[in-house]
Amino acid sequence: MALPKEVYKALKDIVGSENISDDPALLDSYRYSLAHTAIHLGPYYDTFTPRGAAVLLPGSTGEVQAIVRLCNEHKIKFKASSTFWSAQGYPSEDDTIQLDMRRMDRILEIDERNMFAVVEPGVIGATLQAEAMKVGLNTHIAGSGCSCSVLAGATSYFGSGPSNLYGGWHYENLLGAEWVMPTGDLFRIGSLGSGCGWFCGEGPGPSMRGIARGFLGAKGAMGVFTKCAIKLFAWPGPESLPVEGTVPAYRVSLPDNFRAYTVAFPSWKAWADAAYLIWDTGIGYLAHRQFNMFGRELKYAMVKILTDPSKTLGDLEELLEDPEVQRVTEASKRDFQIVLAGMTPRDLAWQERAFDEILARTAGWKVEAMNQPDVADWSLLYLLRLGHKNLNLVFGGSYDGCFGLLGTADYGTTHVEESGQLKKEWEEQGAVVQAGGDCTMGPIGGQGGGGTCLWENFTCFDPYERESVEGTRALFDAATKLGLARGWGVGMEKWNAQCRGPDGRTTPKEERDRIHLSAPQPSVFRYQHKIRRAFNPNDLGDAYYETLDDEAD
Amino acid sequence: MPLEDFAAEMDRCSQCSYCKWIPFDQVRSWRFAKNCPSVSYYNFNSYSARGRYAVARSLIRGQSGYSDTVRDIVFTCMTCGSCDVSCKVCRYNLEPLEMVRELKFRLVEDGQGLEAHRAIIQSLDREQNTMQRPRSGRGDWADGLDVRRLASEKGKVLFHAGCRLSYDEDLQQSARAAVDLFRKAGVDVGIMGEQEMCCGGRIYAMGYREEFARFARANMAAWARAGVETIVTSCADGYHAFKRLYPQLGSGVQVLHTVEFLARLIQEKKIVFRLEVPMTVTYHDPCHLGRQGEPYVPWDGVEKKIKGQIVVYEPERPRYNGAWGVYDPPREILRSIPGVELVEMERIREYSWCCGAGGGVREAYPEYSQWTAGERISEAIATGAEALVTACPWCERNFQDAAGTMGEPMQVYDLVELVQKAV
Ligand SMILES: Cc1cc2nc3c(=O)[nH]c(=O)nc-3n(C[C@H](O)[C@H](O)[C@H](O)COP(=O)(O)OP(=O)(O)OC[C@H]3O[C@@H](n4cnc5c(N)ncnc54)[C@H](O)[C@@H]3O)c2cc1C
Ligand code: SF4
Ligand code: SF4
Repeated sequence: MALPKEVYKALKDIVGSENISDDPALLDSYRYSLAHTAIHLGPYYDTFTPRGAAVLLPGSTGEVQAIVRLCNEHKIKFKASSTFWSAQGYPSEDDTIQLDMRRMDRILEIDERNMFAVVEPGVIGATLQAEAMKVGLNTHIAGSGCSCSVLAGATSYFGSGPSNLYGGWHYENLLGAEWVMPTGDLFRIGSLGSGCGWFCGEGPGPSMRGIARGFLGAKGAMGVFTKCAIKLFAWPGPESLPVEGTVPAYRVSLPDNFRAYTVAFPSWKAWADAAYLIWDTGIGYLAHRQFNMFGRELKYAMVKILTDPSKTLGDLEELLEDPEVQRVTEASKRDFQIVLAGMTPRDLAWQERAFDEILARTAGWKVEAMNQPDVADWSLLYLLRLGHKNLNLVFGGSYDGCFGLLGTADYGTTHVEESGQLKKEWEEQGAVVQAGGDCTMGPIGGQGGGGTCLWENFTCFDPYERESVEGTRALFDAATKLGLARGWGVGMEKWNAQCRGPDGRTTPKEERDRIHLSAPQPSVFRYQHKIRRAFNPNDLGDAYYETLDDEAD
Repeated sequence: MPLEDFAAEMDRCSQCSYCKWIPFDQVRSWRFAKNCPSVSYYNFNSYSARGRYAVARSLIRGQSGYSDTVRDIVFTCMTCGSCDVSCKVCRYNLEPLEMVRELKFRLVEDGQGLEAHRAIIQSLDREQNTMQRPRSGRGDWADGLDVRRLASEKGKVLFHAGCRLSYDEDLQQSARAAVDLFRKAGVDVGIMGEQEMCCGGRIYAMGYREEFARFARANMAAWARAGVETIVTSCADGYHAFKRLYPQLGSGVQVLHTVEFLARLIQEKKIVFRLEVPMTVTYHDPCHLGRQGEPYVPWDGVEKKIKGQIVVYEPERPRYNGAWGVYDPPREILRSIPGVELVEMERIREYSWCCGAGGGVREAYPEYSQWTAGERISEAIATGAEALVTACPWCERNFQDAAGTMGEPMQVYDLVELVQKAV
């Protein structure tokens, strides 16, 4: 339904006619395909999020406040997004106004001495990293890659990635923030609220980080974040990355204080022990089981393609026949990637020795083919910048994670083979890419740098083919069933099922209540219900801010 | 390929927005990280390759219809191909540039073309140039040049001046210089003079496929009559048309851009530099010479799946991702000119920022076109260079205009002019 004329006009007066549109075709470019990736529900063939009532491109905090106030006046739902990679940033109810925050894209400050940056929503990992490196600093980049908004990851959703190990999850790095509350009032979080600057997310000043962010992020359902400060960390490399190579096989050769290794282990226990020892010793700049996302059987062949600009996916089958590729593939079954960065030569020497000792104790080995200079330099660049994450979708155009359980290293290693086996059986049926069952990937290190791993089993499929989409969904249902039967819990494949249903719209309340009541900590959602009542009195967000009211039990 | 045949790609586009940025590995600053002029200027998602996939899907499914907004979304695409390069850093089964072109064709076929473009097409039919100037003046740029006219004589090597150089009095000395340099290097080069016709490349980029084909066939026939085996041009648009589009219609003529030919002649010592040109310069890669200057490879195949759901092609489809465009010859020339110091901008080679003159944008959206050129001038200024050198008259014109409007003292040259200064 179109917005009432006077409302549209009032919105136009706020942002200017060039920054608002309700053209149906333009609005359709703000609909997310639910036959697609990282939706963590479905996938559903040929289903899209609902068309918004209008799209607005605000240019300042003042404009955002004015829009939100007008929405309150007319009881119109709104949803802000910054980089739009995943479904939760799009309306889940009809007649919602979509705010596209990309015009607010400045890096307002990089405080070199206090090691933080102040950014607007449109700043992405790549641009912040490039600017931070100029002053010897770096930013954490979420696993979704450097195309994503730093602010979105820090204030509103998840935020985990390879540099958790050294840089911390994005929510841990969130310092002061400017929040246009669901009512349109402006709230300055942390030290910012007491006029002390951006340096702290808690105090001196109102310690509202948890309230504003909520469980895993409020996902655009609780107002709009217009600025935030993000903690940076040390970068012991050059001011800019000296990138070489022919597209897409770019690579970087860095000074001698960097190492990028792929390592593998004789058993999953050894793998987990290595992770614990890495955390205990405090070594490593980033660590991730990254290239296994292509699948246990395909990963090295894919590396061969990606590091050779003359190759394409059409070379895959031939590469898989190559005995050398088969040997390396076999040798890197239980692998991960790690980057060591020495702040001084002595530091690197110590980290190298410690890492060798870890490998010795766990009987692990360095996968030499992956550590050859050209491949290691490609891998180093890939991991540092995380600018190739569209490779998640390289095969058929779509992927989503199943299982995806967050827990200790042992937790993941107990289910990786069994879940991989289930997936392998489904792969044989043809709906998803046959990659060897185990396409499990994720960071080595979570909150505070250690303690947890995230194990997401990548499932690649073709969003254009109904059988592929529906077969993937059947696999995901089987994954949930297995997870519940084995006591691992419901996996990532159903993460958002409590927020959005098969028609792209909000899940019915009874279903949401059922899911929230069966969650390990339902009280989190009860508490969020109270917060929403207090801060969002007109209920202008959607169900991505997860709540459980008092009546539900 | 009809627009409907891109339906699978529309669904397989991963909505990642990589097409809005230069390849991320190459990002060196906040200021110069963007790649797509249209989404950078208009900001709505629909003005990116990703958004255009979605808009096209909406149109072919009848979920929306034509409107002024839709026309703007489609025709503000410069067809610069920068999105294509960034997308293909990770993807092997999408062709966003091809899709955007097809979308333009569809709108034109449905009578949804822009008035500004229609006026050009009408004049083109009569005058055979895109500059809306009389046909009779096409050869004036070469007045007094001692060079063979291949409209009446035979010759193996043809220099094609193109519409812009034929009519833009400020720029055409570089066409004269090119011919002069070739002649002095002993190349028996000829021109078509007044009989030269538009290559059709620019109208192809505006969405006029049929009209393009007519011009392509006429040009190919004229070349055949004259016995032309090699065609040389200083225009990147023309180069792309001859190199990538004409072979699709059967042309087998060898195509060289002036910079490729000059680099060869310099290497062979047929052109020798005698003078210093003390100047710090930066070089702009024209989109149609760089990332779109890769050689055409015929392909007639189909999609197939391996490993269940991996989309590949039978036989293997050529991959145009900007890796093998013409990047080094102009740089080799610049480095070989005594006194010239080349400093690079941040966005170069396959991820170069567009000059803003492409896709019919200069003709229909002048402000946006100038903004795009202005962005490049700012990037050139950031290098500390005194001059911005390019290898296409459309880029040169747009840069000169933008520098003038901005009041910037940045000098803009065609590379041929620097070569001429040094010999
Ligand atoms: C292929 C893929 C892989 C992913 N992998 C990971 C991963 O490894 N780790 C991880 O942490 N996440 C991952 N994600 C999830 C998510 O996309 C990321 O967390 C990402 O960092 C956010 O980027 P985005 O482009 O989706 O952000 P956006 O689309 O901008 O938004 C993300 C959420 O934040 C909200 N939001 C954005 N900006 C604002 C604002 N200014 N004010 C209020 N709310 C706002 C949106 O409404 C939305 O709910 C992945 C997603 C995809 C598609
Ligand atoms: S061709 Fe150029 S202007 Fe068009 S969508 Fe691609 S990057 Fe943008
Ligand atoms: S066109 Fe390519 S780069 Fe752009 S969103 Fe689609 S997949 Fe990503």
